[in-house]
Amino acid sequence: MIGAGIKRGTAELAVLSLLQEGPLHGYELARRIERQTNGALRFTLAALYPMLYRMEQQRWIRGSWETSANGRKRRCYRLTPVGKKKLAPLQREWEELFGALQRLTKAAHA
Amino acid sequence: MPDWQELVRRRLSGLALDARGTEEVHAELAAHLEEAYETFCKQGLPEREAVDRTMEQVSDWRELQAKILIARSGDSMRKRMQQLWIPGFLTLILSTVFLMTLQEVFGVKPRMVGIAPGTILFYAPWLTGLPFVGALGAYLSSRAGGSRSTMMLASVFPALSLAAAFLLMFPIGMIIEQVTKNDLSFGVVATTLLSNWIGWIAVPGAELLAGGLVAQLFFGRTCSSRDATSSSETTHA
Repeated sequence: MIGAGIKRGTAELAVLSLLQEGPLHGYELARRIERQTNGALRFTLAALYPMLYRMEQQRWIRGSWETSANGRKRRCYRLTPVGKKKLAPLQREWEELFGALQRLTKAAHA
Repeated sequence: MPDWQELVRRRLSGLALDARGTEEVHAELAAHLEEAYETFCKQGLPEREAVDRTMEQVSDWRELQAKILIARSGDSMRKRMQQLWIPGFLTLILSTVFLMTLQEVFGVKPRMVGIAPGTILFYAPWLTGLPFVGALGAYLSSRAGGSRSTMMLASVFPALSLAAAFLLMFPIGMIIEQVTKNDLSFGVVATTLLSNWIGWIAVPGAELLAGGLVAQLFFGRTCSSRDATSSSETTHA
């Protein structure tokens, strides 16, 4: 059964999936999501940070201040063990939704 | 180039988080805006347009402020609980149990200083142990990421609680005296209060504070060096 919070879930899925590859700061996270989805998914600052803070509160991700090679201080987010556990069911949920929509559109075209 | 830090600080001036949390949010969002602005500039946009495009990241600052507050307020409450209330109450319980054990189990009698009604009671073994209790409160607060002032508050929490109780007892006592018409001389009441204040709040408070300060000296430094280590790490390009 697909959960009611699927819309929010997909945004969370995008963030968790990227953080699984390695730590990222907010701007880079938004940039990569946009680039890797060919612009289909876009996060503005106003959409991104409340979600990151909520996910941090739920202990799915952890933020810490780090200094980059060019001397800039950035808050980098990492996936926590709790976040890793959350990622798998989210992926399944999304695949279920995607599969259901595909079946529906195929049936409509047939 | 606009001062993004100042802009964010002004737009999110009502962000009611603790000082550290507010500063973190301001710095993080300002860094994001700065990077977005620089990207637009690199794309060849004129400065004015780059600023406008950057500002499109947030359509309603008040709404953003509310969302951040909701997302982080639980975190702030949890931190306050872990950094102050839990170490503070533990310090209070420990100091009380320690005194009761000395009185009930070991039959320790207080040393009396002064003449009634201004007699001050001192439990020497209890006072000797209080710095350790204060140090423990400060250490627990430090472990939870408490600031120096929070560490101090956690260490002197028993004295502060008792001071609050004293302040509450004073007006209640005055009312009771008015009702029962049991007029006591002001001098007697004031002397009793002062002696109790010294014996149960000032001296134990100083002992707890001493322990807290020592703990701060050790664990406060550890925290700072840990922060510095974290800051010196380099991140991915």
